[in-house]
Formats: sequence, C-alpha cells, structure tokens
Amino acid sequence: MKFHDYYSTLGVARDASDDDIKKAYRKLARKYHPDVSKEADAEARFKEIGEASEVLRDPEKRAAYDALGSRWQQEQAAGRPGGPDAEFRPPPGWDAGFEFSGRGDEAEDLFGGAGHSDFFEALFGRAARGAAPGARRPGMRMPGQDHHAKVLIDLEDAYRGAKRSISLQMPGLDAQGHGVLHERTLDITIPKGLREGQHLRLAGQGGPGLGDGPTGDLFLEIAFKPHRLYRVDGRDVLLDLPLAPWEAALGASVSAPTPDGDVELTIPPGSAAGRKLRLRGKGIPASSPGGTAGDLYVVLTIALPPSGSDAARRAYEAFKAAFDFDPRAGLKGATP
Amino acid sequence: MSERIVMAIVEEELQFSLDELCRACHAREEQVRVWVDEGVLTPLGESATEWRFAGASLRRARLALTLTRELEINAPGVALVLDLMDEIEALKASLRRRSAR
Repeated sequence: MKFHDYYSTLGVARDASDDDIKKAYRKLARKYHPDVSKEADAEARFKEIGEASEVLRDPEKRAAYDALGSRWQQEQAAGRPGGPDAEFRPPPGWDAGFEFSGRGDEAEDLFGGAGHSDFFEALFGRAARGAAPGARRPGMRMPGQDHHAKVLIDLEDAYRGAKRSISLQMPGLDAQGHGVLHERTLDITIPKGLREGQHLRLAGQGGPGLGDGPTGDLFLEIAFKPHRLYRVDGRDVLLDLPLAPWEAALGASVSAPTPDGDVELTIPPGSAAGRKLRLRGKGIPASSPGGTAGDLYVVLTIALPPSGSDAARRAYEAFKAAFDFDPRAGLKGATP
Repeated sequence: MSERIVMAIVEEELQFSLDELCRACHAREEQVRVWVDEGVLTPLGESATEWRFAGASLRRARLALTLTRELEINAPGVALVLDLMDEIEALKASLRRRSAR
C-alpha cells in the first residue's frame, strides 16, 4: 500500500483553508468528472480527488490524517528505505484518540464499495463512511434499497444474446461492523441488441427490505470489454481495415471480419486512408423487431510492405521513378 | 446454484413512477420534482401521482444527481449541462454520418 498525499492530489498547501480545499476540489472535479471529462484516466483521477476531498474537508479525518502524515514524513526523512514509493502500513494504534462520528452523506452510495483506495480503507474503514443502518423499529416496513453495479460484457454477446455468469462484489458489514466484500454470482441473460450505457434491471436482487418490505432491485450498467478489433459507438461499430497501397489505389475485393462473421468488401479504386465504408445494419442489431440496427463502419488504413530486402527496395525505387509525386505539395506557401 | 431472475432492459422496456425513480437513483422526491420543473426530466402524466418516466430517465437522473452533489450545480445549471451534453451527442452523431460514405 502506498501512502497517499491528499494535499498534492488536490494541489493545495498543508495549511490550506477549507475554502481553498473546496475550490481546488471543484476545479479538479469539473476537469475529471467521468461524465464530462475526455481525459483518459478521468474516472481514476476523479476517485482520487474525491477521496482526498472527503478526508481533507472533514475536520476529524483531516486531523487524523495530518497526525499520521507528519509521522510518516519524519520516518521517511530519518532515512527509512524506499522513498515516497515505500510500502505504507498504518502504525498500530495510530488512530487512538480520534473518534469518527461516521457522518456519511448520500454521496456514499454513488461510488459503491469500490470507491476508496486501500489506503483510505485502512485508515478510515468502510464503517467510517456512514451508512449507519437505520434503527429497526418494530412494525416498520420499508422496501429494500436498489443497488447499482457496472458490468463488462463482450460485444459479440450483444450481437447474438448470451447466457453469462457474472460475479459482483457487494460491500457489507461483518458481525464486528467491519467492512467486507461479499462476492455473489448471478446468472444473467444478455439480450440481443444490448448497448453500452444501457441498464438491465434485475428484479428483487437489490438490498433486503425492512420488516416484510419487498427486496430492492439491482441495476446493472452495461459497458463493453475493450475489443482487439472493434470500437463501439452507440449502435455503430467501427473496424480499422488495413489495405496494401495497390489495393487502395486500384480497388480490390477483400475479406473483413465483423462480429457477425466475415464479409466480402469491394474497395473502390482511389480510396484514401481514413475513408469510411458503411455496412448498413451490420452494427449492433435491434433489440426488438421494430427497432433500428446499428451500422458497421470499416475505416480504411494503408499498410506499407516492409522495405528490408533488395527486391523490395528496387520495387520502391521503381515506384518512385514512375511518379512525379509530392505528397507535401499542399503544404507549400504555408510559412510566411 | 442458480435462481430465476426477471430481467428487463431499462431503456427499452421500463417506465418508472416517481417513487420508483427516486428509489432507483437514490434521490429524494423533492429533488426529482425540482428537476421536472426545470425540464431535466419530462414525465408523461399530469400530476405527480400519475407521472411515468421513460427508462432513459434513470441514467439522466443519476447524472443529474452526480452533477448536483459532486459539482454543486443548481437545478437550472444541471438542466443546461444535460442539454449541452445531448447537443454534443447529436452533433457527434451527425458528424459521423457526414464523414461516412
């Protein structure tokens, strides 16, 4: 486990005021919010800054963290091996004297149990996040909570539909009130035509109800596993198809894979790299008889044959001699 | 060990009542009413007791909730952000159609 420097995560000084911390958090949260950010690691960064802000904006947690942090730095400065990447373990009894009131807010369930780093869990535990179970009054009847989870499925399963076993980690409390993860396996049927960003509702698979209240539902948000060949865009699927220069120039009939099986494609003569060929209806199929199927876009790329052998070099030389071709003709006159 | 699970694609097969939507996205009823007033969500039905929210409202409401809690954006701001995000999506889609043959 690495020591997390929450101050540097937010880019604030150790004596930053609540206001400064809040401002720094807002700015970073806007930048890295996974729903609006285009940064590659937005989700991971957003969790980090969320965790940093959660600790530094809570006076109890900040005080405990500061005490621990200065001790850690002294030990580092005193020549403990490893530098900033050294393994960190909270010293036994480090949190004596700090009482966490466990004031959780509603944001807790947005991140689920996997939202915090090991470092955070070791320091503050899951119980510190609040979610104190409501007092069970006799005769009380309440429906169970609806749960949410993200699952990754294969693109091919959305083309054909499939039965799959998925395992989910559900945060819960053990008998001592410590946070634990329960694993459970669910057999689900992936319906044909399911798309990224859609949700499946599994009736009665959420939290238990209070009294004789009904069990909540489980919502699974669908995303596709990254695929070696295909990219997915809503209903549409994209494939990069490499061509030899002569295939692109002269036209060709080539075979291309699709999640539905290979297809024969006619490449028009004079195709430039980046040209997109649309195969109508070959994207993710419609989920219902009246629905719309997506399209498959084949994006042409041009692959150069290796020039390693003498014969290959001679062929390229002949190629060069045959053309009076300046690929950069359009760039001339661009610099004043 | 496998149990029979009743499954539905939320966006295509489901509608939510006000109560169901609140439970599904963990929002308070007053919050959802404010979003309806601001046009973030547009349910069918005249009064709140008759409201039926389309399945796609789940994603929208969860997004609205995150924007409200994490970025402290007020309801008109949330409505604006979601409208702009829809517009970006629509523009991207039309760009894709144009660049294809």
